[in-house]
Amino acid sequence: MLRASSEVTNAPLDPRAITDPSVDPLLEGGRILIRFVDAVLGSDDPADARSLLAESMGPAAVVDAAGVVANFEMMNRIAEGTGMPVGKGSLARTEEWRALIGLDRYRHD
Amino acid sequence: MTTFLQGVSVQVRPEIPAVFVREWTRLASPGSSWDGRQRVEIAAAARAARHGASEPGASLPAIATSAAEILGSTPGRATRIWAESIVSTVGSAAYVELVGVVARASAVDSFHRSLGAIEPKLPEPRAGEPTGEQDRAASPGPAWVPMVGGASIVQALSAVPSEAEAQEDMHGPLYLTYAQMQDLQFVRGLTRPQMELVAARTSALNECFY
Repeated sequence: MLRASSEVTNAPLDPRAITDPSVDPLLEGGRILIRFVDAVLGSDDPADARSLLAESMGPAAVVDAAGVVANFEMMNRIAEGTGMPVGKGSLARTEEWRALIGLDRYRHD
Repeated sequence: MTTFLQGVSVQVRPEIPAVFVREWTRLASPGSSWDGRQRVEIAAAARAARHGASEPGASLPAIATSAAEILGSTPGRATRIWAESIVSTVGSAAYVELVGVVARASAVDSFHRSLGAIEPKLPEPRAGEPTGEQDRAASPGPAWVPMVGGASIVQALSAVPSEAEAQEDMHGPLYLTYAQMQDLQFVRGLTRPQMELVAARTSALNECFY
């Protein structure tokens, strides 16, 4: 969905930022969003990251980002808990991306 | 009565606290295999584990508490052998229900943490026996649990229809409805690529390959 939406909207993107926060995602607001996610899923108080996001992208962006994190906290647990397989077509389409960002380290099979 | 999003300074879309109220009602009520007390204890064990603590459910088998702890805190540790050992003890429907309860309670807690609100008090369990609800059309496939109509993430909990419905109920207010997901140019507080970057980073930190 990230690759498809960035292509459709002509948004610049370096996907390596997904697994390496030292990489600039190039997407507008991308660094601030990644910092927010890392703070929410980390052990420190996410107040500073939330304030930065609100100041730079507005309060509606904070609510959306919080909602997306929450939804994927749910969906990740459902996918991991049920052993949801990735289809062969998706695996073939994403081979280059997975290699680029090192995603295969999370495969169970 | 649980209060949600207490002290939050930003304006939250009303459908979000509304779905939290529905979720807490579901959590407290008897499910397919677990009664209300057990469902609340599953959520409590998962929450405690995320905080590095332990809260074994008095009415739960130890293996269910352990499953809730792992899925609640480190879902990327789940393996097929691990899941099969739980299913062989409690049954596939009970396991599917446990996954759903933990997943949705984790989402509610995460949203509160994101906005600087205290995690909501878990609900008081409602009386009643488990319903035994299962979709008999669910069949084994490549995933670890039976599903209806083949393995897909929207069908992941379909062996217990009320769990699949609850997943969809949460998905729309927090992120996008299943129909809205087709719109790659969707814009709200974030653009669609920005939303997907948040989703991808969350999944990476949870070590979720899917």
